[in-house]
Amino acid sequence: MGESDKNEIYISPAPHFAVPMTTRQTMFVVIAALLPIAAYGVWLFGFPALVTIVAAVASTVVFESLFRLVTRQDVRAGDLSAAVSGLLLAMVLPPTTPVWMTILGGLFAMVVAKEFFGGLGANVFNPALSGRAFLLVSFATPMTTWIAPSLGKAADAVTSATPLAYIKPAEGAISTAAQIAEKLGYSSAGDLYLSYFMGARGGCIGESAIFLIAFAFVALVATRIIDWRAPVAMIVTACAVTWIAGINPLLTLLSGGLAFGAVFMATDYATSPVTPIGRLIFGAGCGLITALVRVFGGYPEGVMFSILIMNSLVPFLNKIIPRKYGWVRPAKKEGVAK
Amino acid sequence: MKIRTFKGGVHPPERKEGSRALPIESAFPSTKTVWIPITQGGAPNKPIVQVGDSVARGQKIAETDAFMSAPVHASIAGTVKKIETHLVVGNVDAPCIVIEGDDSGRTDFMPVLDPFTCTREAALARVRTAGIVGMGGASFPAHVKLSPPKGTKIDYLIANGAECEPYLTIDARTIEEHAASIVDGIAIAMYITGAAEGIIALEDNKANLVPVLEKAISGQKCVPVGPGACNISVSVCKTKYPQGGEKMLIKALVGREVPSGGLPAACGCVVQNVGTLKAISEAFRQGKPLIDRALTVSGGACKTPKNIEVPVGTLVGDLIPQTVELNPGVAKIVSGGPMMGLAMKSASFPVQKNTSGVLFLTAGETCTDEESPCIGCGRCITVCSCRLAPVLVVRALKGDDLEEAKRCGLMDCVECGTCAYVCPARVKLVQHFKIGKQLVRAEMAKAAARAAAKGAK
Repeated sequence: MGESDKNEIYISPAPHFAVPMTTRQTMFVVIAALLPIAAYGVWLFGFPALVTIVAAVASTVVFESLFRLVTRQDVRAGDLSAAVSGLLLAMVLPPTTPVWMTILGGLFAMVVAKEFFGGLGANVFNPALSGRAFLLVSFATPMTTWIAPSLGKAADAVTSATPLAYIKPAEGAISTAAQIAEKLGYSSAGDLYLSYFMGARGGCIGESAIFLIAFAFVALVATRIIDWRAPVAMIVTACAVTWIAGINPLLTLLSGGLAFGAVFMATDYATSPVTPIGRLIFGAGCGLITALVRVFGGYPEGVMFSILIMNSLVPFLNKIIPRKYGWVRPAKKEGVAK
Repeated sequence: MKIRTFKGGVHPPERKEGSRALPIESAFPSTKTVWIPITQGGAPNKPIVQVGDSVARGQKIAETDAFMSAPVHASIAGTVKKIETHLVVGNVDAPCIVIEGDDSGRTDFMPVLDPFTCTREAALARVRTAGIVGMGGASFPAHVKLSPPKGTKIDYLIANGAECEPYLTIDARTIEEHAASIVDGIAIAMYITGAAEGIIALEDNKANLVPVLEKAISGQKCVPVGPGACNISVSVCKTKYPQGGEKMLIKALVGREVPSGGLPAACGCVVQNVGTLKAISEAFRQGKPLIDRALTVSGGACKTPKNIEVPVGTLVGDLIPQTVELNPGVAKIVSGGPMMGLAMKSASFPVQKNTSGVLFLTAGETCTDEESPCIGCGRCITVCSCRLAPVLVVRALKGDDLEEAKRCGLMDCVECGTCAYVCPARVKLVQHFKIGKQLVRAEMAKAAARAAAKGAK
């Protein structure tokens, strides 16, 4: 027969072509989009931020691998998913989080939130946000201690109170953007917007630099790594609802973790819906809960809770599928049979 | 000209340049022996010749009475040496009639028949007797497609020349070299189905064929033809996979959708591959049954990509190295295109009526990654040309929930492979669907048996 018989011949089902983009490369692109934000965070908040990032990534990778080794499963560190979770966890932690606390967060994120549910792709709740939620409810004070960024109003005392505290309509007194700007020591509302856009405010390591998050959003949508629906629906809904409640929508967008959460957390593959309509509803739900927490809740920020709550609805949202090609209304007798 | 298309789809590398410009050349197996599978589309046939019989080229050698079947003919003149099983496409052993050629060149064709003066029934019978099946790959008996159920009105006869599979150039070459035959085949198919309009569909990477076809169409108008048979046009679609899928083509060209579970005839369309239409024309004008198959042989490990025409039953291995030369490093042998074709364990398999190409792929070209866990990115939903939710079908199947799998589109899947092509986790989606469909069919058969048993009581 042919010469080909001398070679090793692979047999596999069609298709015999595949896009070059694998899981590992997808995760790599997400890391690439996160790195500028992480680097900016280190520049803003200094050495403690770097320590937090390294501790988070190392702990997620090590704990995932250890768990899989102990449970005799293949080690999946190579798919970079654990590294992404670690980086995401660091981005939503305050820069001064103690190292042991960060490692504990990594442990919770990987073992409890991810591997207990079956590992990559099978987890219900966002691992990074689960880790943060665990730390927040366990150690409230260190998790809400902010330090001033190196950029902008260095003298300004934003060390303990998050800017969101000013935005919340405390005892019915809702401040305008200009009033808040004055309280925070900015010359005008425009100055405030610009400073916030550039990340010159206290906050978690990755949530401040709105301009870099916006850039990452464009890049990730353009490379089709993420879908625009959930982030856009989340931000639009959050801004609209807080605006109705009398809060400046621009400040809603620029403060807290809304932008970061919408772009990086509401688009997490395993814990967000796979269908287009599901993603829109998921995003809108996240935005609505965020706004409600910000306006009425006991916590200043609602992004984390909103996404974790909506995570639990994903299996139901996935029931909403697009209209199939050639779909015909089922005959009546089928409806009766059910 | 308006460029038409459908929603979704992907753009795999085309890789057609290797064979696109090369004329179809006749080739013959070096062993002068063909292994003709007894059944090539439709219900299983029975051989009607015996070992030792002398057969002429074009002589019927296997058939069955079932409507959904197509007879098989001797593709070379010679002697029946054996009737035994041999490896065929799909990596299974199937019964084949082995004919050793005797160089006599004796033929036993059918009498020439004027398609436009005979009755529709006679024309349909001719298509069936000629053993014509869908040459685009599906191997569906052509006469079945051309005889839609009573009460169905056919508006459009679509000639499928989209050829959206990478590497394959045989449809394009057939159009370039046999445009008149194809147009004649369309006119015949329009006469049989009563379709008022004929549309020839191309992808825009073959826009250079538009004038060739238009010339053939204007030539056809000069010949006395059946009612409405002159209304044939060329439509250009976007180069996008799976543009050549029957359902996508209908959506792109006439904006209709084939109802779920139905045939294209249910929305007034009949789609035939251009090669099939050429074969239909030849069955009338020359009385020639479907015994020769033109195909593209290509791939990165193929030193000499070309378009060849061989007798049906030629073992691909018997073309090496006289007709087809290979480079070292063949990692996959694919019968068909890289998106839907079947990987073979060896090159020793016969070319069948529906073999549109044989590819020799290197490890670098093809994907040999292992399946990894689904990460839920939803890309399969974005690209699915049938707007299904492949990821949810697979999840439902893993949970043994056939009802949910059906709701998410299991039975509507055309197995085009677009979802698996984009899957970053390399989930073998199409394979899961194929298994799932078998489970559903088994379930339906069981339910039918139960109902029958109840009725008997």
